[in-house]
Amino acid sequence: MTAAPQPISRLQWMLGTLSLPRSWRSGLGPIIAAVVLAAIVLTAIFAPLIAPHDPLTMNTVQRLKGPSEIYPLGTDAYGRDLFSRIVTGGRISLFIGIGAALVSVFIGLIIGLVSGFFRLADAIIMRLMDSLMAIPSILLAIALVSLNGPSIWSVMAAITIPEIPRVVRLVRSVVLSAREEPYVEAAIALGTSMPKILWRHLMPNTLAPLTVQGTYICASAILTEAILSFLGAGVSTEIPTWGNIMAEGRVYFQIKPSLIFWPGLMLSLCILSINLLGDTARDVLDPRLKKREA
Amino acid sequence: MRFKARSFDDSRVILDIRDLTVSLEGAPEAPPVVNQISLKIRNGETACLVGESGSGKSVTALSVMGLLPRGALRVTGGEILLDGTNLLALGPHAMREMRAKRISMVFQEPMTALNPVMRVGDQIEEVLDTHVRLSAREKRSRVLDILKQVHLPDVERIYSSYPHQLSGGQRQRIMIAMALVLEPQLLIADEPTTALDVTTQKQILSLIAELQEKHGTAVLFITHDMGVVAEIADTVHVMKQGELVEHAPVQKLLSEPADEYTKRLLRSVPSLVPRPPRPVNGAGDALSVKGLQKIYTSRAIFSRTPPVHAAEDVSFSITKGRTLGIVGESGSGKSTVARCVMRLIDPTDGKIEVAGKEFAHLSRRALRPHRKHIQIVFQDPYRSLNPRWTVGESLIEGPLNCGQDRKTALARATELLALVGLPEDALGRYPHQFSGGQRQRIAIARAIAMEPDVLVADEAVSALDVSVQAQVLQLLEELQQKLGIAILFITHDLRVAAQICDDVAVMQRGRIVEYGTAQDVLTSPKHPYTRALIEAAPGRFWDFANFREVSAA
Repeated sequence: MTAAPQPISRLQWMLGTLSLPRSWRSGLGPIIAAVVLAAIVLTAIFAPLIAPHDPLTMNTVQRLKGPSEIYPLGTDAYGRDLFSRIVTGGRISLFIGIGAALVSVFIGLIIGLVSGFFRLADAIIMRLMDSLMAIPSILLAIALVSLNGPSIWSVMAAITIPEIPRVVRLVRSVVLSAREEPYVEAAIALGTSMPKILWRHLMPNTLAPLTVQGTYICASAILTEAILSFLGAGVSTEIPTWGNIMAEGRVYFQIKPSLIFWPGLMLSLCILSINLLGDTARDVLDPRLKKREA
Repeated sequence: MRFKARSFDDSRVILDIRDLTVSLEGAPEAPPVVNQISLKIRNGETACLVGESGSGKSVTALSVMGLLPRGALRVTGGEILLDGTNLLALGPHAMREMRAKRISMVFQEPMTALNPVMRVGDQIEEVLDTHVRLSAREKRSRVLDILKQVHLPDVERIYSSYPHQLSGGQRQRIMIAMALVLEPQLLIADEPTTALDVTTQKQILSLIAELQEKHGTAVLFITHDMGVVAEIADTVHVMKQGELVEHAPVQKLLSEPADEYTKRLLRSVPSLVPRPPRPVNGAGDALSVKGLQKIYTSRAIFSRTPPVHAAEDVSFSITKGRTLGIVGESGSGKSTVARCVMRLIDPTDGKIEVAGKEFAHLSRRALRPHRKHIQIVFQDPYRSLNPRWTVGESLIEGPLNCGQDRKTALARATELLALVGLPEDALGRYPHQFSGGQRQRIAIARAIAMEPDVLVADEAVSALDVSVQAQVLQLLEELQQKLGIAILFITHDLRVAAQICDDVAVMQRGRIVEYGTAQDVLTSPKHPYTRALIEAAPGRFWDFANFREVSAA
């Protein structure tokens, strides 16, 4: 059997690997993070209105130009407007990040609930999850992309699938401890059906840790997408994402570092603020952790 | 008469608490948690601090130890003198020197108070290391000596054992050894026997008394159990909502209580004398169990642990409108029986008939429509209601499962609340807004909502204060009379069993060793184990409710 870690210590361990300096989490930190993230999300949503140029139109005359009034951040090797590309690229990055978080949390929640409550299913599901966890996500992505061709969906699948076992383990550990609660046993005695017990009594216990876990999945998905695009195993090069803008910029890095600097800055800011909000959510949702730190 | 009747008037005062006031930090308007209490404990004296939960007994003890939770509670007035030194004026370092050397404490839960990853011998040595300089050999001999003094067998083996290898009673002995190894002047014991079985409790109480006699330690003993008070106290201090309402030598307090609150507290203590038997009503069996077996087998491939017989050949029956008590110590299998009967766990073998329907071998799915015939009330009122649901939602969960519509179910829930003595507006409130006793009423209402034939009460009043306990017992009795339910009452407390049960079954190691009417079992026990249980019940010579000796009744 897989050892069932306590939800709190497990959460702490998982989040510990991604934690930010403690002092950032209080005071203005979370507010700034929220403002930055909101700005990034809004620019992504309204990208077609904000972008001054079509991010895909090439203009060979204007190759590798510096910032000017027409091109706020200059142009890339094909004469495309860098600013428009970054703004548009944010859409794909955020879509993949949020999508991967929602899908993996949802699927993981369902599997985790079943696995935590039914012993027989647990034995099978957890072995399956163990084997899924053994596959490196980058490798899986490269395999999927070479099978199906580069697309948003294969990237999203490649990011989501390795995250599912982690969510399953988290949900399962919460359910394992919650199902021993007398109120769950009372519900069984009252003749409440299993799906109802799972959904109405046990599921709400998992919401707080899942919210936190979701933000980390979102951040790491955005990063993984950028890595995959950078490696050329991601979204097709016609669609700008932060990752493939940087990948293309790599060639001209010495001539024009801003091709990597600006998308990199956006990526860092975005991930930093999501992580910071995740840490704050954890502190707010689990007062016990906060107390222990004090 | 077995009260202690020693006089301490000429002994030195060890602990002198003067007008101690403890307040909530950051809430100057809130009433103090402990309000101007004064008490004196002399050398060799055992002072009992009694009161219900929330009365401030533990806060008083923690103030003496200087262990009040920082940022939450603060001493705002008065002084605590230990042999003339004002503890409140000491800095943290000096206070640490005081602890263990001059004052020490024994806690309620011996498992959590010991470090699970350290050998117990090393833990006692650690106390010595922190406070005195001794050679390794001296330390070891001193630890072995104190282990002998607390009557632990085979001290060499115990010395190198881990806490989980010891029983609850042995762990509490280790705690006492650890507290006494530096021969402190004052020992504070905060409910040290509450988590233990009665037979173990009896041994620990006599151990504390014996060691106190030997070392002349002053003891501040905190308890909610009047039986324990009668056994161990020299003087008794009664606390109520942070105030000291009465103090007197033990015999005087128990025979002529002066304060109204003390009287009420004593009247709530259930008597060990069984209540007058009720006539057999001749109704059919609501629950009948025959040859019930529950065997736990280990399913590991490589380790071979022998199967555990948690319940073996258990048979009993309850007719409508009557109460059967199953009594026994922890690990006797009483809760296993309750959970098997509820089919929260599956019995290995045997028959369970509820309202004429065979329950033991139905599949979980087939069982679901029949579950309404048997309902359960759990021990812990804080965990038996879903904290995210309003009381109303909890109450209608069962009826909705049975196909009632929401409106009828809610109307019925309102009636039920009235029936268990709660206001109607409780429906829309959440469990955390209620006290333990009120929550237990809600749990009872939820069970009754199904109109069951059998109600299983698994230690349903054990977590409650005596006065609340008395009310809940009375509620169960009233409901039984009104609705004619059969009650299966699981308890470790013989006093409670004597007050509510018509019949009693005594369980030991998974078997029923004695089964008969409450009158027979509790007044003329046949089995040696039953006799041992009854003899271990603290304060059984005293009739608390009537302020007199039992034989005088």
